[in-house]
Amino acid sequence: MHWIEGIVQGVLLGGLYAQYALGMALMFGVMKIVNVTHGDLVILLALIGISLADFTGIGPWGVLTTLVPVGAAIGWLLQRAVLNRVVGNDPLPSLIATFGLSIALQNAMLVVWSADTRSLSGGGLQQASIEIGPLFVGVLPVIVLICATVLTGGLDAVLRFTRYGRSLRAASADVEAAAMVGVNPKAVYAAATAIAVGILGFAATFQAMRSTVAPADGPFQLIYAFEAVIIGGLGSVWGAFTGAMILGISQAIGFRINPGFGILAGHIVFLAVLAIRPQGIFQRKS
Amino acid sequence: MSYRVERMTLSGRVAILAGALALGAIVSMPWWASQGLIRDVITLACFIAVAQMWNMLAGYGGLVSVGQQAFVGVAAYAMFVMAQSWGINPFIAVGLSLIAPALLAVPIYLLLHRLEGPYFAIGTWVVAEALRLVATNMPMVNGGAGMSLRVMTQFSAHERAIAGSFLAALLLLVTVGGSYLLLRSRYGLALTAMRDNPVAARSQGVDVQRLRFLIFVAAAIGTGFAGAVYFMVQLRITPPSAFDMNWANLAIFIVMVGGIGSIEGVLIGAVIYFFADRWFGEYGASYLIVLGLLTLMTALFFREGLWGLWRRTFDAPWFPTRRTLIQVERDVP
Amino acid sequence: MTTLLSTHGLQAEYGDMRALHGIDFAVEPGETVALIGANGAGKSTLLSAIMGLLPVAVEMVKLDGKPVGGSLPHRMVQSGVAIVPEGRRLFAGMTVEENLQVASEHAAAPRGTAWTKERVYDLFPILREKARTPVENLSGGQQQMVSIGRGLLAQPRVLLCDEISLGLAPRVVREIYDVLPQVTAQGTALVLVEQDVGLAQRASQRLYCLLEGRVTLEGKSSDISRDDISAAYFGASHALD
Repeated sequence: MHWIEGIVQGVLLGGLYAQYALGMALMFGVMKIVNVTHGDLVILLALIGISLADFTGIGPWGVLTTLVPVGAAIGWLLQRAVLNRVVGNDPLPSLIATFGLSIALQNAMLVVWSADTRSLSGGGLQQASIEIGPLFVGVLPVIVLICATVLTGGLDAVLRFTRYGRSLRAASADVEAAAMVGVNPKAVYAAATAIAVGILGFAATFQAMRSTVAPADGPFQLIYAFEAVIIGGLGSVWGAFTGAMILGISQAIGFRINPGFGILAGHIVFLAVLAIRPQGIFQRKS
Repeated sequence: MSYRVERMTLSGRVAILAGALALGAIVSMPWWASQGLIRDVITLACFIAVAQMWNMLAGYGGLVSVGQQAFVGVAAYAMFVMAQSWGINPFIAVGLSLIAPALLAVPIYLLLHRLEGPYFAIGTWVVAEALRLVATNMPMVNGGAGMSLRVMTQFSAHERAIAGSFLAALLLLVTVGGSYLLLRSRYGLALTAMRDNPVAARSQGVDVQRLRFLIFVAAAIGTGFAGAVYFMVQLRITPPSAFDMNWANLAIFIVMVGGIGSIEGVLIGAVIYFFADRWFGEYGASYLIVLGLLTLMTALFFREGLWGLWRRTFDAPWFPTRRTLIQVERDVP
Repeated sequence: MTTLLSTHGLQAEYGDMRALHGIDFAVEPGETVALIGANGAGKSTLLSAIMGLLPVAVEMVKLDGKPVGGSLPHRMVQSGVAIVPEGRRLFAGMTVEENLQVASEHAAAPRGTAWTKERVYDLFPILREKARTPVENLSGGQQQMVSIGRGLLAQPRVLLCDEISLGLAPRVVREIYDVLPQVTAQGTALVLVEQDVGLAQRASQRLYCLLEGRVTLEGKSSDISRDDISAAYFGASHALD
């Protein structure tokens, strides 16, 4: 029972990680870059949301509906101002640029919001739980998991069946060839980053409700997103989703063995996957 | 006609002389400098060493790492355990501790080299984070509470200053001098070719994978050396300080602002960073915002850094690695 | 009739090396023009420069007499210039149909009868059977057909074809070249970069021969003799050897 509970908790935690991982998988797929500010943007959006709730008194759902478009706008701006200049075969410029921006962003948040940990009030939602068989599960984590599943399914459908999805897949396969059939790569990139950071609007709201956020937390969220993407394999958004589940379960079980071991267990599973199946669990061998 | 290959330049000879004088000055510090200055010079030497190792990785090896603090921490912890727990002479322990980063670098590279460029970088970060957590949970190193190097009290302040100054000079000699020798050796051409175009270098018979592996291990040892020296002077170590992300920050800032792919750039960047840290460090967050934005701007608009800017105007390398053909005499027909 | 696409003293660099030294080139609506020349003569570079894949000055390329040099590739497509790139460059991981659809979804506004997927399948019936197959599972000839179809679905007024016969069996080459008249029949101009000089001469009305980034011969394909071509192809000095 102990273990089943751990797995259930892990899957629910994975729901949150999946929301971090989707955007990273999307951006790496099409631009071959890692945005080091990915985790910091979760924190930035969460802090904006918390302040918004404080000042205006809107509830968590109001925060969510605000943060998603704000995230998309930030993503679009990030692409136009920074990432478009560093997309290319050399991984160095994009890494260094976003790494520098990450340091600046973390410290700017420190100046604005101070180092205090904050959280978003969910109006009783955090305490609510439901009984599933012999287990009590929190309502909020279940909502997060459902949301992650819908987002993953939705993103997958967009990639498969829409004009934009096809142009993004074409640009992922061969960006120059895509431009030669009329696809504007910069427009595809800007939309991809807008979607990625827009999804972080969900992640930020839920992160702020489930636990706390502080300006220096970003790197951890970045690492979890990264581990989920690598464990799942770079093949598909469902890969990132599965990777997030495996990471969540590893951390939850690790935490049950010893509270100091939780996060480390996730790192160890990540390294083990890298050793045994470097292409990830989901990746087709090409 | 006969030719010889010339690599040394006048500026290079002057620089070697200046370097030798600087090393001599560092070693002799205990007899003329204040405790504070000695400490500062040792700190600066550690910054230069860590940055130069990152420069070899990213600037020549194409291996962008943001997890070099892994090797700083591992070597420093190894040194503390050997000296404090096992009773080995701490100055010898600094040397012995380098086995730890060397041994660790092998499996890390074998795991991570499978990841594509940017993912390799984040992978090194995960490893550093994992090691920090291991140290936090490890009773042998006193877990999260950290360790103190109490054995150092058996030495007088003067003896510690002598050892620290000597180790700082040795550290610079090994990391900066060693890189310079490597770049001038027959591997140097391969490394430079790899920096400029790895695909073309491979097609010219450069074993890129092997070279990258060797650079990764060498950089781990050099970075670890800096870590061991730095924490020997600090006398205290904890997991967050040993595996501090700031080691990656400073290496990246120094190399990018100074000028990637050159030793001169590292020296310039390290001096700038050292004084910026000294003068503006008290402003905390605002200072780090500026530092971060400067790194961003360098990557966006200014990729050759300050040394690159300087070199556009003056062709006087301090560490010449270029080969020039000099015509010696005309053959008599 | 105004010239559809032309270049004027076109110069382009590959890295530090100048690859084109002042190319004057023109193609009229419905015309088929061949570009021949040895490897490295600059044929593919010329197509890349027209397509906006290399930086060139704005006055050096004109479409309908308007300067368009250096426009981004997707802008060139929307103005009516499409390319069948060397090496086919299909979108791996996507089906035949998806490859074609990306092109038709980003096409120029068609003038006259629009190309549709159905019409492409009529040109190359095998593609209809393979519509749901990922392109990496096709044969080389079938891939080339997808690439041509993709070019047509961009609704071009000029289609630049870079080495479309390269590496294909003679039967497949014939199959592909046999459909080209159906393309020009509706006013689309074709520019063929071709290694096989005989094939280029038969398939085109006019041809240009390039040597070391310069035009060394230009004329009606049916009027040019083999000797003229070999002199232009290898350069005058080589012809004397």
